[in-house]
Amino acid sequence: MSPSLLNALLMLPALVLLAIVFAWPLLDAAWLSTQASSVLTGLNPIANGGANWQRLLGDARFWQDVAVTLRFAAVSVGLELLLGLAMALVLHRPGRGRGWLRALALLPWALPTTVLALGWRWIYNDPYGPLNAILRAFGAPPYGFLTTPATTWLFTVLADVWKTTPFVALLLLAGLQAIPLELEENLVLEGARPGQILRRLTLPLLRPWISLAVLFRLAQALGVFDLVQVLTRGGPAGSTESLALYAYLNAMRFLDFGYSATVVIATFLLLLLLTAMGWLLLVRRPLEASR
Amino acid sequence: MRGLLLLWSLAPLAWQLYTSLVTPEALVSGSAAATGSFWTLENYRQVWLADPPIWRYLLNSAVVGGATTALTLTLAVPCAYGLQRQGGRLRWAVTLALLATAIFPTVLLFLALLQLARALGLANNLLALSLPYTALCLPLAVLLLRAAFAELPPELEDAARLEGLNLPRRLRHVLLPLLAPSLASTAILVFLFSWNEYPIALTWISRPELLTLPPAIARLAGSSLFTVPYGAFAAATVLGSLPLLLIVLIFQRSIVSGLTQGAIKG
Repeated sequence: MSPSLLNALLMLPALVLLAIVFAWPLLDAAWLSTQASSVLTGLNPIANGGANWQRLLGDARFWQDVAVTLRFAAVSVGLELLLGLAMALVLHRPGRGRGWLRALALLPWALPTTVLALGWRWIYNDPYGPLNAILRAFGAPPYGFLTTPATTWLFTVLADVWKTTPFVALLLLAGLQAIPLELEENLVLEGARPGQILRRLTLPLLRPWISLAVLFRLAQALGVFDLVQVLTRGGPAGSTESLALYAYLNAMRFLDFGYSATVVIATFLLLLLLTAMGWLLLVRRPLEASR
Repeated sequence: MRGLLLLWSLAPLAWQLYTSLVTPEALVSGSAAATGSFWTLENYRQVWLADPPIWRYLLNSAVVGGATTALTLTLAVPCAYGLQRQGGRLRWAVTLALLATAIFPTVLLFLALLQLARALGLANNLLALSLPYTALCLPLAVLLLRAAFAELPPELEDAARLEGLNLPRRLRHVLLPLLAPSLASTAILVFLFSWNEYPIALTWISRPELLTLPPAIARLAGSSLFTVPYGAFAAATVLGSLPLLLIVLIFQRSIVSGLTQGAIKG
């Protein structure tokens, strides 16, 4: 047997499973988005041309969810990057107990999102939660962190940032560890201040890891589901409803599989567009510029 | 700086622990009620004796996690080996596909996977749940293990081949023992993913006694079984976090190095 054939055979089982679980669902959803399949049809698919897509274009709730999801992704990924960089720099500094520090800092990322979302629901509780206890201590009236439509999204962002910053920090830590120590020592000998070292050496060399973190977190944030489903259920007044939650509700609550598939595919296309743009801006262009 | 970092990471968790250990009156007023005491284990008793009890969910999650980890490693090791050995276009295409699937938000797959589960009669089956979980973990597992295979000197395998060892025996007796640290950190990450996965478990499992921890917790949150204040919620979150807390603290070195090494070499 030729080595190439053997390699292909070794990879085959894993690749087949990947195709069944990733490629097939997307193809199936794309097909289902052209079908009427709801309680009205007994969940049997009946071709209805572009009716689902026409409905999507005029669906104000869908477009609001697009805006909510984009806002959530942009703000949380931005904050995670800044805080993750700070966290990685702290975790990189040598010192006693660094291993423990890393493990403890990583905890929020390792624990289940639904469990932590339930925890945050209690932290935000009006009026008994600790945040309101702090407000009370300053003589301020209690605040409805999860019941004020204008601001609740900020508190979903905060919970997400708390949960996923450690992961970004871990990726950037990998980048920091790959920077040769001599480079920094040279700059120190030249009399560079810490801020200059960060700007001239650390950030440029971290660029590939920052790009990787942005692409990964962007894709995950655009599909945010667990957190909003448990923390706010999309409320108040739909102000935190993400696209993934809308797709889920269409299938499991409204029993409209055809339209749910349409929302899934629309979300996928948005995701594809934004990650492709991210890829071109963050990875391709710098690569070409460096040639 | 370190103190600030720990405060940020641990304060919300510490608050959960505190909430789970005090009486409702103490939680609301901050002091012991006129009649009762301040600290209590009543919240833990409540979730431990609920129907189904919380240990049932922990057990279910452990079963799915164990099966997923075993299956993922079984498929990922040969795939990573083949990928590392393979050159040219195929390698490039497979790596790109693995990267794309690794960052893909898995919630978008729930609808078709639910239909698949119904068509094949896989709903409400814990072991069947480990099939999609394995697929979702494979990209990361293969990428990490391929990086680990790349670390091994090629002469090592050549020597074993000259000794007349065939591929399964070379893997079993020569290569895999050397990869033990990478296998361990990959296994831990796969187990973490499986323990935490929510949307697919939510749609595949409907029988209460088969729920894994994340949908069980979410269901708890949606029910009026436990009213505010949140003592019982907190006890459930503490018990649900405890196994992972232990894993992270015991294996902290291999988790951190596994991920950072994988990212550097991959």
